[in-house]
Amino acid sequence: MGGAELGQIFVNAVLLSGILALVALGFSLVWGIMNIVNLAHGSFIVLGAYITFFLHELLGVDPFLSIPVAMVALFTLGWGIQRGLINQVIRAPLLATFLLTFGLEILIVNLINYFFKADVRSVTTAYSGTGFTLGSVRVPYIRLGALGISLVLVALLAWYLRATRVGRAIRATGMDIDAARLTGVKVATIYAATFAIGAGMAGAAGSLLSMIVPFDPTLGGGYTQRAFAICVLGGLGNVANVVIGAAIFAFVDVFVGARLPSLSRAVTFAILVLLLILRPQGVAGKRV
Amino acid sequence: MKRTAPVALLAFALVLGAFPALAEDTILFGAAVSLTGKTAKEGEYTRDGYNFAVDTLNAQGGINVGGKKYKLAVKYYDDESKSESTAQLIEKLINEDKVTFILGPYGSAPSGTAAPICEKYKIPMIEANGSAESIFSKGYKYTFAVLSPAKLYLKGLIDLVMSKDKSVKTVAVLGENEPFSKEVASGAADYAREKGLQVVYQELYPTGTQDVSALLTNIKGKNPDIVLGAGHLQDSLLIVKQAKDLGVSPKAMGFSVGPSSPEFRENLKSNADYIFGATQWTEALKYNGDDPWKTPKGYATAFRAKHPKYGDIAYQVAESSAAVIAFSRAIEKAGSLDPAKVRDAIAALDIMTFYGQIKFDSRGINTFKPMAIEQLQPDGRKYTVFPSSVAEKDALYPMPAWDKRK
Repeated sequence: MGGAELGQIFVNAVLLSGILALVALGFSLVWGIMNIVNLAHGSFIVLGAYITFFLHELLGVDPFLSIPVAMVALFTLGWGIQRGLINQVIRAPLLATFLLTFGLEILIVNLINYFFKADVRSVTTAYSGTGFTLGSVRVPYIRLGALGISLVLVALLAWYLRATRVGRAIRATGMDIDAARLTGVKVATIYAATFAIGAGMAGAAGSLLSMIVPFDPTLGGGYTQRAFAICVLGGLGNVANVVIGAAIFAFVDVFVGARLPSLSRAVTFAILVLLLILRPQGVAGKRV
Repeated sequence: MKRTAPVALLAFALVLGAFPALAEDTILFGAAVSLTGKTAKEGEYTRDGYNFAVDTLNAQGGINVGGKKYKLAVKYYDDESKSESTAQLIEKLINEDKVTFILGPYGSAPSGTAAPICEKYKIPMIEANGSAESIFSKGYKYTFAVLSPAKLYLKGLIDLVMSKDKSVKTVAVLGENEPFSKEVASGAADYAREKGLQVVYQELYPTGTQDVSALLTNIKGKNPDIVLGAGHLQDSLLIVKQAKDLGVSPKAMGFSVGPSSPEFRENLKSNADYIFGATQWTEALKYNGDDPWKTPKGYATAFRAKHPKYGDIAYQVAESSAAVIAFSRAIEKAGSLDPAKVRDAIAALDIMTFYGQIKFDSRGINTFKPMAIEQLQPDGRKYTVFPSSVAEKDALYPMPAWDKRK
């Protein structure tokens, strides 16, 4: 591996880490706080991608500007879904939440398929594919922008959970739902907020992905898997863990892909299994 | 009251399901096609192609079997783009719907799972959308494909570039790790080597990949003259996008699947310019066949009259229609509806159609029809540029580097 190639691969991996961190962020939050493995997470990402796509295609809105729209729309949807559906199974066994979110995923994907067809879409702007060169390393603007936005959202969420009343209530509920309730936290509202924030983050991830990869209604499933793997790699319970998990995932994927692309996924998941044996709480997670 | 509703519904469904089999002088074909899921679009093309041919033949009075006229009909199931369910549905078509002729599903993987079922029941299948030779290497006697096999997909593109430029030396091939694309990739690499080119890169990426930057970075370091991609539409789009991201600018770039679909330009806009794509069929080709439409142009005009929504007609539509034509010709020739006799007639078939020659080698593959090459050009249109005898326009070569374009 020559120096130029190594540099490029390194940059590729860093850029990929950012977007993957955002993909997993909401998933990790919902899992960590509500103990729900949200299998419908991927479909929220797809919805975000379609919102950006249609705003760009029909109204000519710059894809980066549509990110807040996607976030608000998904936040609202997430709130509604939590109050209407997830709330019914909140203390039910894990299997019930699995089934519910799994069904939700299928429902949303098929509705998208029905309304928007299975056509492959992508958001292509005048600056798509353009970038600058650092030495011999190419840095595409869109991916750099995506990295920046991911990091900003990760930092914002970390700050929000640490410094605001609602944020602290979210964390308290995650630690001990009964104790939180006793101290006057409205758990139902906090859960709705958590789920809505998770969905909003997924919406932002979808917006960014729509500029980076061609997508269709089935895009999300693979990203739910990735989010799951990232959460297991990094460990739950902390926003920083998501970034670490995403970085591990991206670096393995890109570096193995550089030499043995047909094995990249197998190696990534082999590492995942190995890690689960050696460090079940994740690389950065704390032992419970 | 509560009880009767489901029962009534069930009865209604049964009646509906049984309906096509009731008409006595109708030949019922069965097909399990992906109408939802990953290849829903291509499945729709397949169904539209089958239906169009069936409707056209019916409008001409149907087909003549041993002096009696029969109408044609197709019973469809949706395999949801899952090749496991294709096999079950084919079994259901044969056992429950009593279908004796099968039209193939969309894609190599489902065609591969359908073939052994047809073999088991000795029911002939003509498929139009599965060109992996792995389907045909198992000695099945009841499966036939009207389309050119996978390994020929990118051959024409290598020939085209070599005819344009005597100085080309190096080729990079990247393919999706699934049966059809693997064969396209290895077929292209083998042919390039045979022609004296050096294959500097040959790797497979996993199905459903979302990032090919690692492969492209490696390819960029090797600076090949030609980059060939063997995957599906989404992969081809991703490769072009990331090739631009990373500044990978070969002299020619082409794909087995993707560029022939209208979605290719819709997704990439002007970044689609200069890209080559392999295609089984285009309406610019100059075949003159013995079928209701005779020529590719004739087919396209008639099809668009019925389906005004279609702009470009995807080759999947045409080859699906061609499968129906091949089947009906074979049934007529057999003069019988006996599956074994029809199977023999298919094996002996040699006809010229709007889709090109249809003739099967001993394995059941149509190795007699060449692949065409299309290029997306900067005027926003797509032209058939190879074989040169039927080319609409000269190929634009070399492809300008990404940063040298306006």
